[in-house]
Amino acid sequence: MKTMSMWRGVALGCIAVGFHAVGQQVVQPWLVDAKQSSVRFSGEHAGMTFNGQFNEWQATLVLTTDETASITAEFAVASAETGDFTYDSTLPETEWFDADTYPNARFASTDIISADNGQSFRITGELSIKDRTQEVSFDLVQRAVQLYTATLSIDRMAFDIGVESDPDAEWVSREIKIELQLRE
Amino acid sequence: MGTTNRYHSAAIVLHWLIALGLVFMFGSGLYMVNADISKAEQYRLFQLHKSAGVLMLWAIVLRLIIRWLTKQPDLPGTIAAKEREHALWGHRLLYVAMVFMPMTGWLMVSASSFGLPTIVFDWFKWPRIPGVRGDETVETIARLCHWYIAVTFLIGISVHIAAVVKHKYKDGINLLPRMWWSRNK
Repeated sequence: MKTMSMWRGVALGCIAVGFHAVGQQVVQPWLVDAKQSSVRFSGEHAGMTFNGQFNEWQATLVLTTDETASITAEFAVASAETGDFTYDSTLPETEWFDADTYPNARFASTDIISADNGQSFRITGELSIKDRTQEVSFDLVQRAVQLYTATLSIDRMAFDIGVESDPDAEWVSREIKIELQLRE
Repeated sequence: MGTTNRYHSAAIVLHWLIALGLVFMFGSGLYMVNADISKAEQYRLFQLHKSAGVLMLWAIVLRLIIRWLTKQPDLPGTIAAKEREHALWGHRLLYVAMVFMPMTGWLMVSASSFGLPTIVFDWFKWPRIPGVRGDETVETIARLCHWYIAVTFLIGISVHIAAVVKHKYKDGINLLPRMWWSRNK
């Protein structure tokens, strides 16, 4: 009886796994190739547009059409670079990224809804910069095989960035645009 | 050889360079806070003013060292004792203002919560005065001092120039050769 029960268990398990595999698109988690991808940011300072990017970050994407889909990412805020000596020296400061206290910013998805037969995804997740976590949503769109892009905007004030020195956005725009280009 | 008719060449060079620098510092300083200009221009002018301020500080420190190392020419004997006393205190005031102008500017920038570093002419990063970052009280006091010292300094410079003019045209004493090179000296 014991042997029968064991085999039946294995068989049921196999069927269950089989159904599960049929019911979803089997996609392996992929680690984004940071060298071929980019996380860029832009905003305005003193009426002038600035552009920059994070040079050190990593992200793992599981883009399935069911609830197993997930995205996690981590950015070394000190790696933010605009090419302007003054800006690049200011960004890690306490008032801005406070890179010494909070070296990494993180993103973790909480909900991913696929659309267009898996060609695009509505991503909702928690973005943590410094000690602030905010929910953000954006569309991640497939542009080519293993190439996804997204654009989102964040309010720097919600992440305690430049709150004391420029609360009225007299110098630095509140809205900071983030552009993602992710390649495997 | 024992007596000196003019200041040391290095002191002369620095005196006139600092004078030119001050024209720029007063001009840029007043313009950047009062003129109706765009934020971008204001920002660039602030950075330029800060960069030039660092150079001014070094020039002033160098000038003090040179003053300490070299001999200053005596004032002409025809100048009255009372005026010598005025000149002494007038010059002391100018030196104090000259030192405290960049120091209060530096303190203001160091205490600013904005965190903008001073990048001297896109060349190197000038440090902050430690321990005051984000201190609004220090920033406010430093800003007020920077302004009032600037006003005092401008008055002092005006009196300094007026004294030279007065001695030349009223007393017939030309003091400029003390601060320039003369062939027959």
